[in-house]
Amino acid sequence: MKIKIFIILSVLLAFVACTDLNLNPLSEGSSENWYSDETEIEMSLANLYRIDFWPVDDDAWTDDWTFRGLTNPITDGTIDGTWSTLITLWDNHYKAIACANTILENLDKSKAIIPNELLNQYAGDARFNRATQYAKLISKWGDVVFYTSNLGLKESFTIKRTDKNSILQSIYQDYDSAYSYLPLSYGSSQNKRATKGAALAMKARIALYMGDYETASNASKACMDLGIYHLYPDFRNLFLSPGKNSSEIIFAIPRSVALGSYISTPSYLPRNFGGYIQLDPSWDLFCSFLCTDGLPIDKSPLYNPREPFKNRDPRCTKTIVEFQTNFLGIMYQPHPDSLICYDFLTGKYIKNNDTRANAQYASYNALAWKKWIDEKWTDDYLADPDEIIMRYADVLLMYAEAKIELNEIDASVLNAINQVRARAYGVDVNMTSAYPAVTSTDQTGLRKIVRIERRMEFAWEGIRYMDIIRWKLAEKVLNLPNYGMLDVAALRTKVVNMGLWFFPSTPQIDNDGVADFSPMYNAGLIKLLGFRTFYLNKQYLWPIPSKEILINANLIQNPNY
Amino acid sequence: MKKFNILQYATLLIRSCSKKTFRIIRLTTLLLSVTVFNVFGGTTDSDYTNLNLNKETDPAAIMQQNRIIGTVTDEKGNPLPGVNVVLTGTTQGSTTDIDGKYSINISNGAKSLTFSFIGMKSQEVSIGALTQINVTMIESAFGLEDVVVIGYGTIKKSDLTGAVGVIKSDVISNRKDIQISQALQGTMPGLMVTRDNTDPGSTATLRIRGITTIGDSNPLIIIDGVPGGSIDDVNPNDIESISVLKDAASASIYGSRAAAGVILLTTKRAKSGDLKLEYNYEFGFEKPTEMPKYVGAVRYMQMLNELRWNDNNNTVGGEYSTFTQDIINNYSSLHTENPDLYPDVNWLNLILKDNALRQSHSLNISSGSKLIKTKASLAYDEIRGLYMMKDFKRFTVRVNNDITINKYLSASLDFYAKRGISDNPSVNPIYYGRLTPNIYAPEWSDGLVAEGKTGSNIYGELKYGGFKNYWDNQLGGKISVNLEPFNGLKFSAVLSPQFSYYKGTEFRKKIQYTAYDNPNVLVGTLVSLIDNNASTNLNEIRNDNYNVTLQLLANYTKSFGNHNMNATFGYENYYASYESLSAYSNNLTLSNYPYLDLGNTNFLQNTGSAYENAYRSFFGRIMYNYKNKYLLQGNVRTDGSSRFYKDYRWGIFPSVSAGWVLSEETFMKNSPIFSFLKLRGSWGTLGNDRIGNYPYQSAISFHNALMYNGSNVSSVQTSSQDTYAIKDISWETTKSLDFGVDVNFFKNKLNFSGDYYKKVTKDMLLALEIPDYIGFDNPDQNTGKMFTTGWEISLGWNDKIGELVGYSVSANLSDSRSIMGDLGGIQFLGDQVKYKGSEYNEWYGYISEGLYQTQDDVNNSAKINASVKPGDIKYKDISGPKGVPDGIINDYDKVLLGGSLPRYLYGGNISLNYKNFDFSLAFLGIGKQNVRLSSLMVQPFLQQFGNAPELIDGNYYSTYNTEVQNLAAKYPRLSFIGATNNYVMSDYWLFNGAYFRLKNISLGYTIPQQITEKLHIMSVRIYCTVSDLLSINKYPKGWDPEVTVSGYPVTTSFIFGLSVKF
Repeated sequence: MKIKIFIILSVLLAFVACTDLNLNPLSEGSSENWYSDETEIEMSLANLYRIDFWPVDDDAWTDDWTFRGLTNPITDGTIDGTWSTLITLWDNHYKAIACANTILENLDKSKAIIPNELLNQYAGDARFNRATQYAKLISKWGDVVFYTSNLGLKESFTIKRTDKNSILQSIYQDYDSAYSYLPLSYGSSQNKRATKGAALAMKARIALYMGDYETASNASKACMDLGIYHLYPDFRNLFLSPGKNSSEIIFAIPRSVALGSYISTPSYLPRNFGGYIQLDPSWDLFCSFLCTDGLPIDKSPLYNPREPFKNRDPRCTKTIVEFQTNFLGIMYQPHPDSLICYDFLTGKYIKNNDTRANAQYASYNALAWKKWIDEKWTDDYLADPDEIIMRYADVLLMYAEAKIELNEIDASVLNAINQVRARAYGVDVNMTSAYPAVTSTDQTGLRKIVRIERRMEFAWEGIRYMDIIRWKLAEKVLNLPNYGMLDVAALRTKVVNMGLWFFPSTPQIDNDGVADFSPMYNAGLIKLLGFRTFYLNKQYLWPIPSKEILINANLIQNPNY
Repeated sequence: MKKFNILQYATLLIRSCSKKTFRIIRLTTLLLSVTVFNVFGGTTDSDYTNLNLNKETDPAAIMQQNRIIGTVTDEKGNPLPGVNVVLTGTTQGSTTDIDGKYSINISNGAKSLTFSFIGMKSQEVSIGALTQINVTMIESAFGLEDVVVIGYGTIKKSDLTGAVGVIKSDVISNRKDIQISQALQGTMPGLMVTRDNTDPGSTATLRIRGITTIGDSNPLIIIDGVPGGSIDDVNPNDIESISVLKDAASASIYGSRAAAGVILLTTKRAKSGDLKLEYNYEFGFEKPTEMPKYVGAVRYMQMLNELRWNDNNNTVGGEYSTFTQDIINNYSSLHTENPDLYPDVNWLNLILKDNALRQSHSLNISSGSKLIKTKASLAYDEIRGLYMMKDFKRFTVRVNNDITINKYLSASLDFYAKRGISDNPSVNPIYYGRLTPNIYAPEWSDGLVAEGKTGSNIYGELKYGGFKNYWDNQLGGKISVNLEPFNGLKFSAVLSPQFSYYKGTEFRKKIQYTAYDNPNVLVGTLVSLIDNNASTNLNEIRNDNYNVTLQLLANYTKSFGNHNMNATFGYENYYASYESLSAYSNNLTLSNYPYLDLGNTNFLQNTGSAYENAYRSFFGRIMYNYKNKYLLQGNVRTDGSSRFYKDYRWGIFPSVSAGWVLSEETFMKNSPIFSFLKLRGSWGTLGNDRIGNYPYQSAISFHNALMYNGSNVSSVQTSSQDTYAIKDISWETTKSLDFGVDVNFFKNKLNFSGDYYKKVTKDMLLALEIPDYIGFDNPDQNTGKMFTTGWEISLGWNDKIGELVGYSVSANLSDSRSIMGDLGGIQFLGDQVKYKGSEYNEWYGYISEGLYQTQDDVNNSAKINASVKPGDIKYKDISGPKGVPDGIINDYDKVLLGGSLPRYLYGGNISLNYKNFDFSLAFLGIGKQNVRLSSLMVQPFLQQFGNAPELIDGNYYSTYNTEVQNLAAKYPRLSFIGATNNYVMSDYWLFNGAYFRLKNISLGYTIPQQITEKLHIMSVRIYCTVSDLLSINKYPKGWDPEVTVSGYPVTTSFIFGLSVKF
């Protein structure tokens, strides 16, 4: 009996296994021993290139867009420190900064096994990223919390904002270091990351935003002098598959539907493709394109409000879909009497859902985007355009703008603008008869020209918002109403039947290139879609997120928030 | 006979097996084989007689001459099977058989026998010279003699010194909730049950005595002594009893993980007696309790016009801002003419059925002999959903075996399995069903799927968009071997593995819609409202988890005269591992094969993760009482957790408690009023480690970035440290102090029990808010304190009227409040905060001062922004950066607006028996709660296109109103621009969400035995139950107080059932 008990007891004790309590993460790395070799450092650096860290500004914050007249916290003046978009941006900028700092702080760990040259390149890469994130912060928020080695928990609760000008100096240093150590380009089997050219161009951009024209012109000149960037010959294709990764692209983050990074397209697509066509180019943008004689529409004899797409800068019809043209295989015509339209793919007439006579929610102002959009956008409603952060045309126009502001106007300035304009016309810069080349050397006149050039060139590229902010133009253009067509019945009687389609009259364009639609509105010929509101006493800077202000009493909110 | 061989074979196998993993596999095989043999191999005594191989171990053979026999009956004279008969002061004994008969062999010196039975008063009878002792057991009021399950043991209820709540099986099974967590609502003071949602098969969140920690406040669930996963793993009908360990003294034997309280579930086991078979069938249906209403097509268009007109500064002539006058005025005739172009459809009515069916089957078999007792149950529950493709099905199987091996050795062998199947359409249609206005068409008149709101059509997605189905499988077992070398001393070893396997298939199909006037023209593809998806895609999910618990326990019971002592010591080892995997393919060419072999290899994505955790624990408990009058108990437990760095890993959690049974004192013994009176007090500490799995290490997490590689885009693996690591992070501890009183009055007819407690939680594990500009996510750290105070009372009355009517009434009420101590910072949770002096998750926002009525008032007030207009909500300027009002409404004007947790929870039960009828009624509710009117209830045009709630129509500030009407308006003006101002958190949107709910009414009838006996049926009971019939509350019309606003409706269930016992 005793033996039996003993046997059973020993069986029981055999179960007594002590589980090891020293457990380490199974499907994650541990920070204890990371950054130990090339692979780990490169993985950490690659993290800085996640698209979350590279958002471009939303053109819906500008006068280039309309969302059926609806506004957002920037265009209706309700922006405050609880706006989720703003909080996410702030959060991600600092996440990238901390990530870059962590890499810089840990590079020493692998000094022994990685060649110095490579370590320097890694450091340059991290500093390029850090500089870009700080540049975004100071351009939106002004003075911000600034550090170049990661904060301890304690000091993070008491730290104050640093003057944006001293942050700017540090940004310059980071870009300079990046310029020194980053490669000019990457081999065909290497992952393409930041380059010398990107460091120069991004440095020029923040310098321009901050009004430091000297630095802006030098940096953009240096970038031009690298000699490796060229304007892509075809403006339309630049934004489609053929132009991807071309020599005009200085820095971009790619997308790929197959690899799970894409944008959803229905908001932009015409309704004949099942889109919603709710985010559309505004009339303000449409009217800002010059005519082929280089004059604004109210000055040019070539402009006819009945045929508003004719004789315009070619970028106009490459940005906005011209009426009665084949767009992605279907005739686009928002005219209220065009109840059917031609389908080039099937060779049949189909019901035209892009006229409001057939569909209440067809484009409210008749316009539809064309830039970026090709047939792929209608396929499953996913598209993967690259997120272009910097392209060569911007460098040229930044150079021109900086030199104009410095009043150092010479042939190189005109050449820079003309290169961009000539490309739009698909001709060489020297064929000055084939396009309206810029010849004026007057500072005020050129300032106007380069600003309008930027608007025509960069529509829907996330450039306009910072432009109207730094030009102090937002207080004007974001206080103008958003207009569209009359409702169908009234449109027929007051406009169409009177022979006034499309624009009943030519809007006046002021010195800033801004169109005035109020005479048409007062005559009852167009419809008010919505008001924009921008408060100049506060909105040139964004509010710091509420949470930060509440946690840290040393952070003083921007004025009037 | 074969069985012994199996046991021996298995034992040998186990011994010979060196690797732990193999050991577990072998053990599972053993569990299965024994169970299968036991269930299907017959269960009568004769089969097992050969098991007693050793003659000398058969007690009958040794001491035949000193045997006492007898019969035990209840008050009505019916024989009582299963009564425990033991030699007083020992564990040596026997139980009564089906006829209430027992026989027991007594050793020399035995003076008396103790008879005990759950729900009956224990009796001690002196033996003297008697050879036959017949006993009549008397029902004990309020279960003073009940054996209560406590941590690693049991105790008589009257001997309890801690705060332990007990719920009996019938309370749970009467509720007819298929999930135990939901069935517990209102059953016990101090147990807060909040429904997570009300989907078929959904569960509830349990909180014991309010909130104890900021992190995971879920109580520890112990199923048959083993730390289990979820309380809902067990079928409610298998429950024998549920004990809730509320204070630290009761729970600290589970030290490490008991901070949020412990719930002990005990499942039913077989008693002695013949084969018993019970079959239950239920069917019923469910209807939504309430549904919110939205405005019709014309009002929708008018209101949207008004909103856009308001946002366009009420420009004259711009009144018809979106929809023309012509359409609005003629909508009904336009609709009649062409319902496709001018729809008027109530989407929610289309999506929801009037009612949904449910049914349950359950079969129980139990059989017992002296050597093996088995109880097996099999149940199937099915609840259909209120919209198509939605249902929940569950199978549960449980087999509990008790085996007597010999005089010293016994074992138990339990096995259970569960499969829950949740079928869903690819989308949850409720939110967008509510949101979509009547002016959009879900289907054209030709029956084909329509465009909906410009390609967004939740009804189309529901009907044609595929499915999301989930299978939740669990398999578990428990073997325990008990050794009693001599009376009073017992060693047990318990091994319990649990395996769970979760499988999900999410298949979304591409849906093309046609032109309304031509079914052959495909206009576009529906784009999912939920995830912007338009293509056919498939996601397969596989999760695999397992855990294993090992316990070694020693228990010693001894009495010396009037001194009674019980000591328990134990060791426990727990290990759990979790692994998940998912594989996804997009752009599938075919939309009727939901399998990955048809996946599109160009669009594949995989994810996976794994983690594990482990505990090692030592514990002990000593209970002592003198004459059952003065009671003392002490516990201590020490735990090591893998979640902490090795230097900060171990925590010690002691507790003491004491009780004084005043009614045993001579001065109270014969009191006509007090039949029982006990004072209790306890103090103890508990721990908590539930915050991530590796909080002391900052894990490097992996992501992906896309980069050009040459001219190809490739996905590059990236890594980042996302959180700060705090290496010395360690246990959070909760100290708790409890005073309680249990009183029975008037011969135990009335009982009262009350407790008052205080809890202090310190070194709270908390992801404290750190500034975002630090660039890391909030790290876990030990910081801050929280103070919780609360009380709970329960009252019951139990009596008979004459011989035929028995009734009982009981009610409970409890409250608790948690105040934050210094946290070293703030934690923001949207509209709620935690900081020093605030309540746990207190509402945080502006103080409102009504609606602005005039532009003058707007001009002269502090505002959030300059876009504020009359008809918007006015807020109080309280402070600014310099500590004084700054003329702007901003973050400095936010204040605490009151706690968000429910207060004064109550519940009650009334039951009545008359002849063969039984009736019961349960109610519950909360006395006070600050609830926010959610945006879906009161905010029109959510997401710019959403519907307008009917309850605001005619009740909002409007330029079309008279001044008097505007003064009376309850809701702000219609405006998107004003929404930033109007719908931020403020006291404007808070209301008292107190409610009373008639939870359950049930009526049963047992068919007289004279009739059933002829059919060889022991008993037949038919019954019907109605749950969630009505509630009284101040919620806006159409909203149930317990509904999750965008979720499934709360339903009233009507259930009819039949129970047959053989």
